Parts: sequence; structure tokens; C-alpha cells
Amino acid sequence: MSVYSLRAILIPCLWFAVLMAPVVNAFDLSDLKKQFEESSEEFSESLKTLDQVRGTVSTDDEVEIGANITSGLLGAAPLVADENLQRYVNDVGFWVAAQSKRAQLPWRFGVIQSDGINAFAAPGGYVVITLGLYQLLENEAQLAGVLAHEISHVVRKHHLKALQETMQREIWSDLTVTVVDDKKERKAMRMLISSGLQLYTTGLDRKYEYEADLRAVVLAARAGYDPYAFLDVLTTIDSINPNAAELTVMMNTHPPTADRLDTLARKMDGRLDSYAPGVDNAGRFRQVAAVP
Amino acid sequence: MDSFLASCWYNAATMRSLLRILLVFLLLGSEVQAEAQGIIVRQAMVYDDASIAASSVGKIPAGVSVTLFKRNGGWQEIYSEERSIIGWVRSYQVRAGEYNNSLVNSEQEDDRGFLSGLAAFSRKASGFFTQDSGVTSSGTATIGVRGLSEVEINSAEADFEELKKMDGYASNGKRMKRFTRAGELKAYKVPYISGAKK
Repeated sequence: MSVYSLRAILIPCLWFAVLMAPVVNAFDLSDLKKQFEESSEEFSESLKTLDQVRGTVSTDDEVEIGANITSGLLGAAPLVADENLQRYVNDVGFWVAAQSKRAQLPWRFGVIQSDGINAFAAPGGYVVITLGLYQLLENEAQLAGVLAHEISHVVRKHHLKALQETMQREIWSDLTVTVVDDKKERKAMRMLISSGLQLYTTGLDRKYEYEADLRAVVLAARAGYDPYAFLDVLTTIDSINPNAAELTVMMNTHPPTADRLDTLARKMDGRLDSYAPGVDNAGRFRQVAAVP
Repeated sequence: MDSFLASCWYNAATMRSLLRILLVFLLLGSEVQAEAQGIIVRQAMVYDDASIAASSVGKIPAGVSVTLFKRNGGWQEIYSEERSIIGWVRSYQVRAGEYNNSLVNSEQEDDRGFLSGLAAFSRKASGFFTQDSGVTSSGTATIGVRGLSEVEINSAEADFEELKKMDGYASNGKRMKRFTRAGELKAYKVPYISGAKK
């Protein structure tokens, strides 16, 4: 089914739902209108994503691709051997991801043994943060903000799009279509891991980073956290000498931190101020953070 | 005998007044500790309340030391002795911690003045970075960072055992309920921001 015919069916369905809902449930009409506007916004975003990805990658394929790339990353730096810490980061991440439209992905989060200050996302719901970045954080709201930035990359399929653009077409089709030839599939998977890892050192299109920043503060606010906590993390990073070795990979793959802060603050434009008194759970963050 | 009693009374009175002074010092001490020091890290407009609707009382450039009072959402109340301004700035325009001049001088590669000094101070104070930072002027080499240099990332061999471990730590709906209850977390409906001006 084409995107346009899907649109033609779904939009009347949505209107039908709006018109019928007051009869079925005694909802306030203005609430419904708001809900419709929000779902329309999400819906048109889904269509845009569908347009870009053209339905060539199923969610199962996406998760498998992400799992392979993440296993490569874990080969470079293993997980920190601390179950409490890993479970805590998964709890925060899972809750934040539940506020996105891709809550159903098998979300996995991990802290890896590295002094570098960075975080990574892979298709299908894999998010990794370095111990170096984790230890710069002061509370749960800041952790939520960092994870929300990575979650946004996954939700918007930024890495998947970049991989599709960079990898050869025939290799890509070997990955997403069941291949009879095992050897061919293994070779394609090896190339995929290699391209995926390369993406972590060359970086995504910088516009995706600004987009993930703007979505991160909204996701954090949706999850009940102070959205400004993410700006506090950027402020901390901005105060570190950008030539420091711990920041090299992040600086090579992201826009200058000061630009990110200025852009984000300008675009937020006070819209999330009413969510700023959100929770930061500094107490339980410190309890867990003190472990490693 | 009289002089002995008098000296006892005198000593007790002295002790009492000493204790009183000590108590005042302790109270003052805790008061001083409650006011953290900070530094303006990006030029900040100062408002007389925690809102952009409030009136502006002045502007403070980056690099000025300030005293930090309350934080209210995305706002921080500050006092600048240097500029004789008291008011509210955006929380990301200010950073807790003091500028340590000697640390800036020790960072030869530093071309960003107080910011790097501050960072060096916070990193050294935190003790997180136990290894040589391997600072370079080109910003391309990552020697000295344990794990995840560009070369290490690009030449990594997949580790599926670690991936399995990562799967094992995943959360689920049941854990999420417990986690949000314990952390008093509530979900809100917040639309995405398009980036357009209001």
C-alpha cells in the first residue's frame, strides 16, 4: 500500500474518531480537538519517516541491525560490571522511551567502561552512555535528558537513514531480505557493523543532533523531569576544554556545544518553563552513582 | 574562698559567652555554606523574577563570579558583587564552582580562559579522570583515554556476550511501575517543539 493511499484511509478514520468520540465517551470537545491535532502531528511525522525509509526495513530488521552495531561498540568498550548501575540506567531510559511514539521497541541501555565523554544510539532501541559522561552528571533528570537525546535518534531513525545512504544498495538488500547464502549474509553483516561503527566517529548530519536536542527536552518534560537538566549537562560539557582527549570523539561528531545550547534555548523560548519544577531525583541518583 | 568562688563564676561566665560566640559562628558558617559560588558562563540578562515576563535589571558578561541563591525551574537567583546586581538568570547561563586561576595557568593548551580552568578544576576535583588526559592541540588524537578512541571504535570486534548481558538488564512494565512510584514520576502531555517562534 502506498503512503498516499494510507494517508487517504487514515485521515478520514481520524476525523471519524473525532466526530464519534463525543457520542461514545462524554469527552470535552476541545480536549478531543487537541488530541486530534497532536495525533495528526505524530501521524504526519510517521508518514514523513515512512517516506524516507520507504518501508524497506522492518522493525525486526532494525533491531537486528542495532544489536550487531552495539555488539561492535561493546567490543571496543565493555559494560561497567555493576548490575545496580545498569538496571538503574535501564529504568530511567525505559521510562523516558515510554513517552515516545516508539515505546514498543525492545529498549536496551548500558553504561560502558570508557573515560571518553559521549553517548551512542543504534537502530532498534540500543542506547549506550560512557562512564566518563555518566560521572559528569549530577542527578536523574540530567541522565534522563542525555538518554532522551539518544532515544530521539532512534525514534527518528537517524542512524538507519545515515546507514542506508552510505552503504551500497546491494549490501543493504542482503541485510534486509532473507538471504539463502549464509556467507553473503555474514559478509553483509560485517560490513554493516563496520559502517555503523564508522558512523560513531564521523557523526550524523549535524541537523539531526539539533533535532535530537530539541526532542530530548520535550521527552524529559513528558517523563516528569526538569527539561532544563539537559541544558545543565551541555553547560557542564561546554565548560570542559574542547581539546581534552575525553571529548575528542564527541567534538568531532557533534556541533559545538555552545551552538547547541544557544539553539536549544532559543527554540525552547520558555515553552517548557511550566515543566521546569519537574523531578530531579538527585538522592537516588547519588546512591547509584556512588557505586563504581 | 571568696576569690575562688569569684573566679569560678568568672570562668563560667566566660565559658558561656565563648559558647555563645561559637554558636553564632557556627550559624553564620552554615549560612555562608548555603550560598554557593558560581560563574556566569554565557552573557546573561538578569531579571527581577524567575520569568522572562519580569523586568530586566541588567546584563552580566561571561566570566563574572556570582553568588548563587535559589534555583527555580530553569532559573537561578544570583548576586554579582562586581556589578552590584541581584536577580534571576537562566540556569544554563551560570555554573556552580569557582574560577581557579592557577589551574588555567597550568593548562598550556587552554585558549578559552576561565572556562577551561573551571573544567580542569572540576575534573581534577572530581577525581574521575585518573589517567593522563592526553590533551592535544589538534583535537584529533585520543591517546590516553581508556576505551573508545576513534581507532578503537573502528577496529572493534563484535562482542555478543556483552550484548547478551545488556539484554539481561532491560527494564519492563512491572519494573517501570515500581520505579516511577518510588521516584514520584508522572507523565505529562507535552507537544514537540517545531522550533518556530511563538
